Amino acid sequence: MRLLVVEDDKTIREFLVRALGEAGFRVDASGEAADAEKLSLEGVHDAIVVDLTLPDMDGLELIQRMRAQGVAAPVLILSARRSVDERVLGLERGGDDYLTKPFAVAELLARLRALLRRSTAGQPEAVRLRVADLELDLIRREAKRGGVELQLTQQEFGLLEYLCRNAGRVVTRAMVLDHVWKMRIDTSTNIVDVHIHRLRNKVDRNAERPLIRTMRGVGYVLKD
Amino acid sequence: MFSRISRSFYRTAAWRLALGSTLVFAAGCALIFWAMYVLVAGTVRERSDSWLVGESETLKQVALTTPRDALYDRIVEEVAELATQEMAYDSRGNRTSGSTVFFAEYDASDNLLVWVGPKDNQQFLAAIQKMNPRNAAPASLEIHGWRSPFRVVMVPMSGGDGHVWLGLQDANAAEMLNRLLIRFILGWVFMVGLGFLITLLGLRRMLKRVDAITGTAASIRTHDLSTRVPVGMQQDEIARLARTFNNMLERISASVNQLRTLTDSVAHDLKSPITSVRGSLEIALSLEDEEFSRDLVAKAIESLDHLSGVITTSLDLAEAEGGALHLHVEKVDLAELAGRVAELYAPAFAEKRQKLRIEVDRPLPAAVDVQLFTRLLTNLMENELRYAGEGAHVTFSVTSTDGMARVRVTDDGPGFAADLLPRIFQRFAKGSRSEGHGLGLAFVNAVAGAHGGRALAQNRSADAAEHGACITIEMPLTPGAAAADGIVFSSEESENPASSGGNVRELSV
Repeated sequence: MRLLVVEDDKTIREFLVRALGEAGFRVDASGEAADAEKLSLEGVHDAIVVDLTLPDMDGLELIQRMRAQGVAAPVLILSARRSVDERVLGLERGGDDYLTKPFAVAELLARLRALLRRSTAGQPEAVRLRVADLELDLIRREAKRGGVELQLTQQEFGLLEYLCRNAGRVVTRAMVLDHVWKMRIDTSTNIVDVHIHRLRNKVDRNAERPLIRTMRGVGYVLKD
Repeated sequence: MFSRISRSFYRTAAWRLALGSTLVFAAGCALIFWAMYVLVAGTVRERSDSWLVGESETLKQVALTTPRDALYDRIVEEVAELATQEMAYDSRGNRTSGSTVFFAEYDASDNLLVWVGPKDNQQFLAAIQKMNPRNAAPASLEIHGWRSPFRVVMVPMSGGDGHVWLGLQDANAAEMLNRLLIRFILGWVFMVGLGFLITLLGLRRMLKRVDAITGTAASIRTHDLSTRVPVGMQQDEIARLARTFNNMLERISASVNQLRTLTDSVAHDLKSPITSVRGSLEIALSLEDEEFSRDLVAKAIESLDHLSGVITTSLDLAEAEGGALHLHVEKVDLAELAGRVAELYAPAFAEKRQKLRIEVDRPLPAAVDVQLFTRLLTNLMENELRYAGEGAHVTFSVTSTDGMARVRVTDDGPGFAADLLPRIFQRFAKGSRSEGHGLGLAFVNAVAGAHGGRALAQNRSADAAEHGACITIEMPLTPGAAAADGIVFSSEESENPASSGGNVRELSV
């Protein structure tokens, strides 16, 4: 997978190149819109990350120009502006997702992966998820660990489902709030921790190997 | 007097306006006075003319009926003398100052037969001879040596037998007209002068108030925005200008204060976490123990997240308080939203052995900024979690009455400290036990305000023994802006069950 990163701030650009490189992407980076426009026209990128404040052009304009010239790769917008209007405008102008600075690398990766999944052929919707000896039946909304059914509330099932779908990948608190509770809020509290703690009590209590792990400072990951 | 007035006075609007309006006024007055003068003069002339016509007829008759003998001259002279005296005396029989009448009769071959009038008649006769055309209508005749013209009428004798002339210089009327003219001019000068003074003084007085506003504006410095323009008792345009100006100052001053608090908060709320982040990372860098250094790095990230939250909330607050928070209004069921928030928080309440009771009118359709309103609800929840105390009973209700949504949170915890209560919604107002950044309730208040509502805080009882806090948020279900955007609920949707207790759900936690 090859990405194009358009970000004028050198520190952030270098950090993005490094983080995305470590996550297994090939990354081209540019600090200027004109240069980025040329690169994007090569048509070799699977996704493009665009910062909205560029020295020579507004990021939204760059996206419009690329779209006008037939660049179809999904675009993830980065911005320090945080208003809802900005987000809406970005998505209207041809962006596919929007992330506000500061962001967690885990969230950037998750969003990029989601975009790449969306742009490649749609996978058949899973009805059953399995991680190690944890089994989720999405239709009957039942979860089993080592063949024993877990007594989960609807919320807990939703949370576990989200973790399973992202098994092996870190999810942040904000991502959990967004996807499980449909709330886009920054919260500096431990409210999600409380839910994870409860879920862990049910999922991992009697198991030899815990599946739900807390990545301190970042979020949570469910993995074998 | 005018020499002492500075040159700049002549450049003032007061001077220009006064001068302009006075000129118009002067022209108008002159026109009116002139018209009146002409009317009076015309009336006076008509009076003498009708006398002239009547009298000339009489004299003609006398001249015709008197036999032309030696006595003819005497009789006609006598009658003419009588007639002239009629005008030369006023109604009380006093001789008036120099009304002059002359009478002349010519025969068919233009020889003067009779002359009654001033002895020196050469000028008169010359003027009459020159008069042309000769007709019976009274006409003005200038006579050399006499100041004002005579009115003269010529009557031909029947049968072409010569003609008679009768002339009158009505000195009374002329004098009266003169006096009238002088009075009119004096009156005009007086009125114009008075009008100019009144206009000038009135305008100066009014524009001095504008000057006061200018002075205030000029005196304002960024470090002192406390000066205000005196408004006075009037309700006129300038008072409105002053009030508008003061309101503007009020807003600017509020923004500046806000900026100041924001800077203070940046200094206080941001610098200490940055210090701790820096410290943690520095230690992590020098540590051999990888496990411990990972822990420190994680701690640093947590501090940064907290920092980011403070910045976001501070900016939102600053925008909301400055009236610049742009609402992204969406249709939403407040009851459903409140339910989701309650479900999110229920386990946290349970951890603290607090009992959370939810009362909602449902459905409760509204048009609000969903993101901001969600944060309002979570802030209220966080607030209860932090301060209601272990084992408290917390009731959270979302209801609506008369187009207003009401969110109310009550608990039986310790309540608000008395010194904190009046400023509970202010930024950085926090109790001694608070570990928050003091922005939560300020944000709640700001969001309510941005939606055209308000937030109220009180203790449920003044009795210190059984306090318990109560926070109420009231805001319109559809803010004015949303209604203008055409967000209208169908009548079916907007029908709310009147009972607020009918849909009580209790989350057993």
